[in-house]
Amino acid sequence: MPRASAWTLGWLALAVALVLLPQALSFSQQEILVFLTINVLLVSSYRLLTLTGEWSLGHAVIMGVGAYASALVTKWTGLFVPLSMLVGALTAAAVAWVLSFPLFRMKGFYFLIGSFAAGEIIRLLWKRFQDPFGGAKGLKRIEPMPNLDLGFHHFDFFLPTNYYYFALVAVGICLWLMWRVERSPMGLAFHAVHWQDKLAQASGINVRGYRMLAFVLASGFAGLSGALLAHYIGTINPGSFGVEQMVFILTWAIVGGTSTFYGPILGVVVLTILNEIVLRGMGFEQARPLIYGFILILSVLFLPKGLESLVQGAMARWRVAAPRPAPVEREKQA
Amino acid sequence: MFRNLLNGRIDRRRFLQSSATLAAGAAVGSHFSTKASAQGGKVVKIGFLAPLTGPVAAWGKPGLDGCSIWAEWVNSEGVEIGGERYTIEFVSYDDEYDPTKARTGATQLILEDEVKFIMMLGGDPWPAVQPVAERTGMLVSTLLPSDLSPETTTLIAPAEVHPIYNVTGVEWLAQNKPDLKTAVICAQDDALGLPSVATYLAAFEAAGIEVLEAPQLFDPATTDFAPVVTKLIAKNPQIVCLDTCYADYVHPICEQLFQQGYKGQIISCTADFYDKIIEKTSKEFMEGFVFQFPDFDDPALNGENINFRRPNEFYEEYSRRFPGEWGAVSWEYASVMDLWLDAAKKAGSVEPEDVLAAMKEGGVGKHAFGEAEWWGEDLFGIDNALVGEWPVVVIEDGKAVIKGFGNIPAWYNQHRDLLIKSMEALGQMYYQRG
Repeated sequence: MPRASAWTLGWLALAVALVLLPQALSFSQQEILVFLTINVLLVSSYRLLTLTGEWSLGHAVIMGVGAYASALVTKWTGLFVPLSMLVGALTAAAVAWVLSFPLFRMKGFYFLIGSFAAGEIIRLLWKRFQDPFGGAKGLKRIEPMPNLDLGFHHFDFFLPTNYYYFALVAVGICLWLMWRVERSPMGLAFHAVHWQDKLAQASGINVRGYRMLAFVLASGFAGLSGALLAHYIGTINPGSFGVEQMVFILTWAIVGGTSTFYGPILGVVVLTILNEIVLRGMGFEQARPLIYGFILILSVLFLPKGLESLVQGAMARWRVAAPRPAPVEREKQA
Repeated sequence: MFRNLLNGRIDRRRFLQSSATLAAGAAVGSHFSTKASAQGGKVVKIGFLAPLTGPVAAWGKPGLDGCSIWAEWVNSEGVEIGGERYTIEFVSYDDEYDPTKARTGATQLILEDEVKFIMMLGGDPWPAVQPVAERTGMLVSTLLPSDLSPETTTLIAPAEVHPIYNVTGVEWLAQNKPDLKTAVICAQDDALGLPSVATYLAAFEAAGIEVLEAPQLFDPATTDFAPVVTKLIAKNPQIVCLDTCYADYVHPICEQLFQQGYKGQIISCTADFYDKIIEKTSKEFMEGFVFQFPDFDDPALNGENINFRRPNEFYEEYSRRFPGEWGAVSWEYASVMDLWLDAAKKAGSVEPEDVLAAMKEGGVGKHAFGEAEWWGEDLFGIDNALVGEWPVVVIEDGKAVIKGFGNIPAWYNQHRDLLIKSMEALGQMYYQRG
């Protein structure tokens, strides 16, 4: 089979599998699937930020900015929830843009610590101001996604299956956008800023500007993931976007690997299934942190380049094993 | 192995083998400790949705351990509800004090495990569970009445009225140590800390004790308490109030108070694993420490007014099975189950709505510490908290001793306006939340 056709078939199979997936899961697994889908967007947006070589410790808080903004906009204005989610994403991007001025005066480790400090300031503001952020208890009874009647199907978005389909479409579009960004000249500039910043600067690339751009774009997508979460669970509080959540994002990215687009996605999918389904299902409820930590150590020891290295290895073997078409065939395919 | 490790002679394979054995051992142990034994007849499942891991686990895991003892005792005695014999089984889900996990857990417990009642710690996870409980009509209990609001009709707080019972400790201090006239308060800045701060502020004001400065709220991520304590005792207070700090904070704060030479009175909502605090400080330093959660080997719990089943024996059995793990919640979830079982027997049914109706019949109920009333309209907008007497506990010679019982409704009737003013000032009234 020609390689292009194999790819098309592969994508089609994946799409069908994602649509049918909830039907094969239990109620609680469907809930986990919703959160997993949202986390796929979150960790992918984090990778977009890391393309320029900067790692942030404020990404979870930026996710929270989107969540708070979207929840408050629906509360104050009654705006249609999907639109308020976009407002949440834009607010997160705008906050990131403002933060980027002081933060991108720093690089590397200093940026890491600076982003953590900026995030903590935002979190403390949420706690400090009971009005409008709800203080330490946060916001409750956030407007849910309104039900949708399409005639052939009534979508009650309280149900995890329906919300999963909604989140899947939103996340799918975002992933496609991020993919296009990375493949565009802008994405090439991000890579250049990461690997050869002096050379890029000498070539006329505005290094600081591209770093800011990656930060703002990544924050917009993270804000959307926060908004998706807020309107599903109906409650958010400053603790939901704290250090612990940030550690999870880092772990997903590191275990999955960040050199490919699918690396962090692989990380979040594998680790979530392991932690929430496999270990709980095996009855290891209280020993999960111990086993989870042990598996992380294993992965760092044996897969220092992340889970993506396994896929890269398999792809390389597949390329070698697959018979290459004759030159005439290749020309025809081209 | 450790000698080899120190000498650098252990290889990676052996390290991994040893670690895997350790992990598997711990995992298997934890698995079996959560199962209740089945004794035949019908099975009624009860959900336990609370943090079993993470920083708040001290208010979940000991409760599950207590429930396992309760279930064994009750099942061995035989449970008859509505003329049918039942075995009670607990199904636990670790919500990690995370709303997303709590929603998933509630869904699993209700729709897959088909439990008839869910016990929660409450707090941050509750709002995510609320819509699931509302849609399914599931009866849920919380240890934190601040979760209650007029909309939460199937949520009850039958074990503790946190943080209102803290007034009894302050009242006892004022009566028994009238020379103490100044206090300072510190608490973690979260949903547990703030309503408790409001309560202590009202209680101190009612007792005529001056709070020297605004309560010091520290971030829950704090690990270094030296600066917190230095600032706290800078004005030489006679009382240091630790509010409703988690065990992970109470211990290092006490250590710091000891190291920085504080010699005054300490009052706290909890003092879980206080023997460990004594080990890190001294018996003399902890002498007179006031808190609210007794050890159940206390003779004061053998009174006729106490409704908890065989408290001294329960404590003995708990300490035998889980040495050094007795804490504030070890008995609480079990006491909720006592109430549930009584109501189920009265209703002749295990269905949530029947049990709730039977539980609230007559507006009174059998609380662990005596007859109590269903109360809370003023503070929570709904009478779903069971409130009566609450013990005041003092550490004497290294051991927690009940010094008396304070009556919460009596205090409230006298100081209602103070408490509401204080709660409103911190935005903790039900109509101000969220």
